[in-house]
Amino acid sequence: MLDLLYAVVVGPVKDMVGAPTFLAEVVIGGLAAGLMYSLVALGFVLIYKASGVFNFAQGVMVLFAALTLVGLMERGVPLVPALALTMLVMVALAFAIERVVLRPLVNQEQIILFMATIGLNFFLEGFGELAWGSNVKKLDVGIPDSSFMVWGIQINRLEMTAALTAAVLVAVMAVFFQRTRIGRALRAVADDHEAALSIGIPLNTIWIVVWSVAGLVAIVAGIMWGAKSGVQFSLSLIALKALPVLILGGFTSVPGAIVGGLIIGVGEKIAEVYWGPLVGGAIENWFAYVLALAFLLVRPQGLFGEKIIERV
Amino acid sequence: MIYREAGQFKSTYAADQAVFPIRQDRIIGGLALVAAVVALPLVADEYWLQAVLIPFLIYSLAALGLNLLTGYAGQVSLGTGGFMAVGAYSAFKLSSAFPWLSIIIVFLLAGLVTALVGLAFGIPSLRIKGFYLAVATLAAQFFLVWLFNKVAWFTDYASSGTITAPPRTVLGVMVTGPEATAPVRYLAALAMVALFAVIAKNLVRGRVGRSWMAIRDRDIAAEIIGVRPLRTKLLAFSISSFFCGVAGAEYVFLYLGSAETLAFDINVSFLVLFMVIIGGLGSILGSFLGAAFIVMVPIFLTNMPHLLGVAMPVALQKQIELMVFGGLIVLFLIVEPNGLARLWQIGKEKLRLWPFPY
Amino acid sequence: MRVDPSAGLTPMLEVADISVRFGAVQALERVGLTIHRGEIVAIIGPNGAGKTTLLNVISGFYHPTEGRILFEGRDRTHLRPYDVAALGVARTFQNVALFKGMSVLDNIMTGRLLKMGGNVLLDALYWGPAKKQELEHRAFVERIIDFLEIEAIRKSPAGRLPYGLQKRVELARALAAEPKLLLLDEPMAGMNVEEKEDMCRFILGVNDEFGTTIALIEHDMSVVMDISDRVVALDYGRKIADGRPDEVRADQGVIDAYLGVAHA
Repeated sequence: MLDLLYAVVVGPVKDMVGAPTFLAEVVIGGLAAGLMYSLVALGFVLIYKASGVFNFAQGVMVLFAALTLVGLMERGVPLVPALALTMLVMVALAFAIERVVLRPLVNQEQIILFMATIGLNFFLEGFGELAWGSNVKKLDVGIPDSSFMVWGIQINRLEMTAALTAAVLVAVMAVFFQRTRIGRALRAVADDHEAALSIGIPLNTIWIVVWSVAGLVAIVAGIMWGAKSGVQFSLSLIALKALPVLILGGFTSVPGAIVGGLIIGVGEKIAEVYWGPLVGGAIENWFAYVLALAFLLVRPQGLFGEKIIERV
Repeated sequence: MIYREAGQFKSTYAADQAVFPIRQDRIIGGLALVAAVVALPLVADEYWLQAVLIPFLIYSLAALGLNLLTGYAGQVSLGTGGFMAVGAYSAFKLSSAFPWLSIIIVFLLAGLVTALVGLAFGIPSLRIKGFYLAVATLAAQFFLVWLFNKVAWFTDYASSGTITAPPRTVLGVMVTGPEATAPVRYLAALAMVALFAVIAKNLVRGRVGRSWMAIRDRDIAAEIIGVRPLRTKLLAFSISSFFCGVAGAEYVFLYLGSAETLAFDINVSFLVLFMVIIGGLGSILGSFLGAAFIVMVPIFLTNMPHLLGVAMPVALQKQIELMVFGGLIVLFLIVEPNGLARLWQIGKEKLRLWPFPY
Repeated sequence: MRVDPSAGLTPMLEVADISVRFGAVQALERVGLTIHRGEIVAIIGPNGAGKTTLLNVISGFYHPTEGRILFEGRDRTHLRPYDVAALGVARTFQNVALFKGMSVLDNIMTGRLLKMGGNVLLDALYWGPAKKQELEHRAFVERIIDFLEIEAIRKSPAGRLPYGLQKRVELARALAAEPKLLLLDEPMAGMNVEEKEDMCRFILGVNDEFGTTIALIEHDMSVVMDISDRVVALDYGRKIADGRPDEVRADQGVIDAYLGVAHA
């Protein structure tokens, strides 16, 4: 019994403390992975904040964006025009989604919309594979996947770039939502579609804007993921991990998506490296979800989310 | 002309509450039953039984379970695959530890184990609603699959990491294992799903079903009326898990023969959810219709190119399958959120008027 | 049934010094009222006065920050809503809270849930005691359906009904529980004159035939004057009047806050 306690509690902590630079690297690795989750979660938050729809297909949109970019580049289009074209494709996708999925379902309950996005998820998965083929692709955005040393700790260039990009994105989003008129309109729409319609907010335009912006975020996320590990279909499954991120951070909070993602990323890595060997590994498969579950019990609205008050 | 209720008056509430109040429905139901039990096993060939009918029956049971939880009680679950796995692995362990136990009892016990797991999982989930709950069920899904993968005890330390259905007989006839013939397995699956469908129908048309639907439609008002949300949701979780557990056990024992955890991954959860959505949330018949539909689509896609004389690579087929599923989900949610079951009902109503337009 | 409040029996409901606070908003401040068995009490006041909040506190949906609620003489302040329902309190809601996915009949049958004991296993077989119970309750519910004259719509999905009928179905559902105390939140909102007359007839009928004590929130003063035994007026979370209808109507505070004066 004591052995068990030792193995579970003391042993891993000793390992951590005993090799601090390694711990730092694990943490940084976790932060980097977490950042990727955060980027995907950001897309979710955007759409949810602005249209009240929980877009299950966000992960697939990331994949789709990456696929399009890579597909274009493989056909010889240089990086910058390829990016521009991909953006156009994502906007077109936003149009299509608004017209075909959102508009007909405009006043249904959230759960119906959620299930529609699950359907969308599968559709886009099939369509993406159909359009661009199903083998793993290498994505080269001109940033070397090499590391440099800071205080004896290895830091990866690509991950640094991703971190900086994410930081910029978050800042822009925060300002956008709080300060601009469109931002306010978006928040109104998220609150109540009908009410927003009745005061003249052009719902359809708003939705297209939002989903396009989410598409942009998806492109960034797709690039970061793709450059790191190649563009492949497991990308959409990884995006499922963004859901626990949202639970931790709160569905409506941009900073929450970031913080939540980082916590999940670091938590996962630490759990896997230090406790994984005890149970045969692959804790990463479920750690994020169980952590989210624990959170749900204690603080359902997440760290930064809004407390839900029910009225009769 | 034929399908008319004229002349059929109900003089008791009992008659009014009957499952098939219209006489024509009872006749059709009776004929369908005879066909399913007697005619089909004689007429259908091996392929149809093995590739279509048996999985249809098993998926129907799983869809029934999920429908009770999601369609009637309004609790979204993406953990169906995980619960089916619990059923499969418990059935395996039980049948290997107690080889003398009748396989039917094993299935029921496996269902019971799954119900307990579902209960254990349901308790922390009670305060969580909507898609928060969906994410929480993902925790169950991923954790359970990982557990069965990692802990070799569950597979009796098999080096292949798979569980295999041992040969078992019922009343002297081989029902599971390599010797069991398709018609026998078909009848076993049919019997189980018929039994559970009856149980499900009885539950949903009475007190239990109404308390589930009350929680689903307006949980606060339900609580003020006197429904106890905890108990109601827990009951839904356990009964639904029971069904899914039995379905999981049947999946390995009556259909696949042997399986590893891949057979119960998240895609199964999505598949069963699709069956429930397309078939009709909150409908017993819908669970069957949805399962039939989802089972048929890949079959259709495999065979259609043949019929048209066009060759279609397997990968393309899978892609089209995904697109079709996804597209249909969206279509159904827009056009008929109550799914095929509602379309069926509308069809019947039109039939009552036929040949008159209204 | 006009009851003499000084009949010496324990009051059906006593609300004493109830305060409810939501963050910075004081929704109710030291509100007290007493309802006697068989009375019809109307609660009036401008919007936001705290009338629905008061009903919600009595229902157990909110718990007061201070004060007590006594039901038939016993302290019931911190009960959960389903326990309050078990005591014999039923209510309707301001924004009709029917179960939209169920038929009218099923909605009303859910009102009988507390009266239905039962065993899941027997339910699963729908045989013997389960079936017998189901049919008994069905018979009772049918009497309510007759009483409220909604036979024609019993199988309709509740979500598809016009507003006035939905309110009636909600009343039926509340009655199905055979309540001792019935709380009605604006039962006549949005109805035309005929529908209001029908509702008044039903409410008086319920009070007469079954002796049910009734508390209702209502804005239509003619209805209030006609059917209530006593009127309680709230404003900004405080009680400003409590007495017979004609007394309250003439009360200056109530006139200032809510009623206004009739111009010649």
